[in-house]
Amino acid sequence: MNQISDRTILDKFCINFCKIVEKYTKYIIVSGFVAIASGRVRGTEDIDMIIERVSKDEFIKIHKELIKKKFVCMQSDDPEEIYELYLDTCLNIRYTYKNQLVPQMEVKFVKDELDKYQIKTRVKLSLTGLDIWFSSINMNIAFKEEYLKSDKDLEDARHLRIIYADKVDENEIEKIKHMIRNIRLK
Amino acid sequence: MRDKTHMEFVEKWADYVKKNSDWKKIHSEFINSQIKLHKDFIKRLLKEKDGKEKIIKVYNIKNVNGYKWLFK
Repeated sequence: MNQISDRTILDKFCINFCKIVEKYTKYIIVSGFVAIASGRVRGTEDIDMIIERVSKDEFIKIHKELIKKKFVCMQSDDPEEIYELYLDTCLNIRYTYKNQLVPQMEVKFVKDELDKYQIKTRVKLSLTGLDIWFSSINMNIAFKEEYLKSDKDLEDARHLRIIYADKVDENEIEKIKHMIRNIRLK
Repeated sequence: MRDKTHMEFVEKWADYVKKNSDWKKIHSEFINSQIKLHKDFIKRLLKEKDGKEKIIKVYNIKNVNGYKWLFK
């Protein structure tokens, strides 16, 4: 398997964002960007990030540092408002660079046991060439095949199954699918 | 539902990524050109009547103040 030299605009955006967030809390990058960073050729406007719940004061620190590094939140400039109206009520927030509309980082808090398990089993994927935390390959395959299920998601899952054939664990995927059915699809 | 040729391409490309060292260059050009196409489109849209309003609506931007460059 070959390693990587060039970075995409999405890669750089993601690295810069993660560098700030990881100072304050645990995070994972999930879904489409896991497949794209692993070579899947398709477009996206956003990268999905789940972070461990932090206090309002901690979030204010994260937000201020993001602003200092030229990010802007699409929902509000006021970190207290972002925390109370969005994050704390399990709504997503989006950040972009100050002078751009894409890429976007969609951020949400861990919301249930499944998300906690995603954080607990997070991995780094050397093939991506990115020093960032992703949810596991088995987790991404399970979510895409059992929960999201669009053509795009099923193609992402197929791509991941081929690229990471050595990491695919059918027992683990079935276990996660069972959790999805019990927690998200009840 | 997409026809089976889409999945066949996904499988062929995944196989290419596994076996060839130049995949990242091809991949990066594709991803970066998409972002560039988007930027170029936004520039054109901003010149249209109601272009800014359409952008704000499409992206559901609540923090309009944070995107002042749209109004320059």
